Amino acid sequence: MVTTPLLSLEGVGKSFPNGTVALRDARLTVLPGSVHGLVGANGAGKSTMIKIIAGAHTPTTGTVRWKGEEAVWRDPGAARNAGIATIMQHVPLAPTLTVLENVFLGAPGPWRLPRARRAEFARLLDRVNYRIDPDAEVADLAIGERQMVAILQALATGAELVVMDEPTASLAEGERQVVFEVVRRLSAQGTAFLYVSHFLDEVLSLTGQVTVLRDGTVVEEGETAGFDEDRLVQAIVGRDLLAVERRTHAPVEAGGPVLLSVRSLSSPEGVREVSFEVRPGEVIGLAGLLGSGRSEILHAVYGADARARGEVLVDGRQVRRDPGAAVAAGMALVPEDRNAQGLVGAFPIWKNISLPGLASLSFGRVLPNERSETERAARAIEDLGIVCPSPEAMVTELSGGNAQKVVFGKWLYGGARVFMLDEPTAGVDVGAKADILELVRRFAAQGGAVLVVSSEFEEILAVATRVLVVREGRIVAERPAHETSEEELLMLANGFGEGDVHDAA
Amino acid sequence: MPPETSARRSRLSAALRPGSAGVVYALVLIVAVLAVLSAQLGRPNYLSPTNITNILDQSSLVAILAVFTTVVLISGNFDLSIASVAAFSAATALSLVSSLGLPLAMVVALGAGLVCGLVNGVIVQLVGINAFIVTLGTMTAVRGLVLILTDGRTITAKDPEAQQALIGLQSGYWTVPQVLAIAGAVVLVAGVVVGLLARRSGGSPLRGGLAVAAGVVLIALSPVLGYELRLTKPTYYLLVIAAVTWVVLRYTVVGRRLYAVGSNAEAARLSGINVNRYKIGAFVLNGLGSGFVGVLFAAKLLAINPTGLQGTELTVLAAAILGGTSLFGGFGSVLKSVVGALILFTLDNGFNVLNLGANYQGLIVGTVVIVAAAIYTIAGRQRQVRRVRDSGPQPVVPEPTKQEALG
Repeated sequence: MVTTPLLSLEGVGKSFPNGTVALRDARLTVLPGSVHGLVGANGAGKSTMIKIIAGAHTPTTGTVRWKGEEAVWRDPGAARNAGIATIMQHVPLAPTLTVLENVFLGAPGPWRLPRARRAEFARLLDRVNYRIDPDAEVADLAIGERQMVAILQALATGAELVVMDEPTASLAEGERQVVFEVVRRLSAQGTAFLYVSHFLDEVLSLTGQVTVLRDGTVVEEGETAGFDEDRLVQAIVGRDLLAVERRTHAPVEAGGPVLLSVRSLSSPEGVREVSFEVRPGEVIGLAGLLGSGRSEILHAVYGADARARGEVLVDGRQVRRDPGAAVAAGMALVPEDRNAQGLVGAFPIWKNISLPGLASLSFGRVLPNERSETERAARAIEDLGIVCPSPEAMVTELSGGNAQKVVFGKWLYGGARVFMLDEPTAGVDVGAKADILELVRRFAAQGGAVLVVSSEFEEILAVATRVLVVREGRIVAERPAHETSEEELLMLANGFGEGDVHDAA
Repeated sequence: MPPETSARRSRLSAALRPGSAGVVYALVLIVAVLAVLSAQLGRPNYLSPTNITNILDQSSLVAILAVFTTVVLISGNFDLSIASVAAFSAATALSLVSSLGLPLAMVVALGAGLVCGLVNGVIVQLVGINAFIVTLGTMTAVRGLVLILTDGRTITAKDPEAQQALIGLQSGYWTVPQVLAIAGAVVLVAGVVVGLLARRSGGSPLRGGLAVAAGVVLIALSPVLGYELRLTKPTYYLLVIAAVTWVVLRYTVVGRRLYAVGSNAEAARLSGINVNRYKIGAFVLNGLGSGFVGVLFAAKLLAINPTGLQGTELTVLAAAILGGTSLFGGFGSVLKSVVGALILFTLDNGFNVLNLGANYQGLIVGTVVIVAAAIYTIAGRQRQVRRVRDSGPQPVVPEPTKQEALG
């Protein structure tokens, strides 16, 4: 290689105090003026790598080189001063300030709006060939425009490397093209980009080099021209792991009694006319990309989304649209964000586990029987293999996998029969992941109905009997799990191959 | 069963740690310092029954407010309007007591407080405006209502009969004779209940038996020691309100759910708890409590001026903060908030007894509140650090590395 790489990571590893290993011996080489793609499944280590580059995390092992020299950034400010700008998925702009003020937010100088800034701003706009009103308030802008403001902000700091994390996740097609256009133009002028995206078509068309992460290590890297959609998908998915975990599940006989029935459910949150039925013993995988509306469907079914319209029946009886009624009807939700939605941080394990069924564990449904509660918690700890000092331990002390098992424990003994699991294994280590998948199979084997949402399709295929593919809030395809593949699901979820969807759905 | 006893012991020792019981130690320390100082300076005995009864009486109204404010804070909300609501109820009671008689006037006054609380709760929960803003608004608006009602003048209960009724409500003492015997009887009954419940759930009735024994001992000692308890009526109101609220929060499903709602409303909601009911309920209770305190205040002074009780809400919040209640919800104990109120009034009283000059009082009280908050914050942080250290790094499950190129 003749040119010195702008940024290179060598043997970089990152492990967290709770034992999670997010990156292991990872490497990355970004050349000046190139657009470098970084892809991988959820939890593959992309975010950790970005945070190390941005100076938000310090690597546990390995070295980071910037323009050939070893660099240690203790905080994001140091990385920014070196010439790295990071644009996170949720653009951190000050919504009450104008475009101009946001673009020069980090600029030194005592005055709020020196005249020279306007000229500088005009030069920036010329550079990217984009038009925007400098005095518009950021709060009034569309998301795509905000993305552009963030890019301008990055340029204004004189960044030589711009890291973009899922820049187009919430953009409309037209807005995407604008972003692509600017990225191409700027890279031609010498600014390098590290482009992180779930959307493989974007990576293929936009980037010059690509690095694929899986389970914290680099599994593929090279010129993008050498890849096609299939090869990227296979690299992201990792065939060998799939072969180990996957078990064939015969579909449950149609014609049996229906446990959960959802009829034309819609909500302003982005659920559109969703209907399906689940029989006892079935595990339904809801496969969809980030932002496809898969979590929203679960929340609508559970009654947690008050604005959802439609019918949900358990055992043929209609369930009122309210979580309390859902719990009474035997529904259970393991939400996506366990800390924000699943656990009460101020409570120890036993109080968390007894929370949904507290009245049934109480004398006269009024005075909680703490002995029974502790016993239930001890049983959950035993059954689920939760690693903790005692039921008295606070849930905030637990590692991701153990905390997730506590969320499961809330629903194990209260007679729940419809389980809705939203990304049940996100941020969970491999051992706990296998436990949780085993638990899902057990729910079904005991005559329950399970809905599993996951963006890791291998996981869905490992447990599901039937897969519903979700795209833009709709169920666009249905496949028996033993007849489909991860590649097919990824294609369907990406909107490819819609032609053969209609006859299947 | 050893694991359970050790769990109980760890719960007890956790409750006695300075991080959680610090406010009690602080009160003991302050009282001790004041007692020693007053003895040194040749002032009247600080720990005399009269002085203690006085401090309890002076702090009772603020402490009652602190109990209900703590409930709102636990639910994850905030209420600045309590003092205005109390003044409004006081003005309502005073202007109606002559025509309607005390019981009806009191019902109307309590109803006024309840409605204020309901308005707060409904706006905060159902419209979704921040509680600080809403109650800042109702604080001003309800104070405006007081001005309208009183026409900017002090109103008094002139009717002698009404005056007598009001005086009967709050002034004077109640004496509990043989307090040990009564306490013993309560412990005995509680022991029997606990024992029976434990037997029904298949556990050992040991704890219940111990309580029964303790009750018998107390009753037996009572004729020998013959101690009697003589406190003012508001103090009794406080004791009953604090005890009932504590029991509800500590031992009932409602209490548990309130803490859950305050700590993580979304997790509580997804566990099937009606979050709005609990949060609005806390506001309604707070309004009702403020109304009651307003009536007591009216009965104490037999008059209310339009600015009466102004600023009390901040004293109440200070008491709750001293008691370790979190302003972010999910943490707090009404008993500790009561102790917090006692600290504020002990300092107040101490300045008077020692004749230290009221000028320094604000400085000292403010410092005490900040120091207390600092101690809670730092203790909480250290506990966090210790936990991480105790749990230690967990063994990493080795994973087969998949370096080979695919496809």
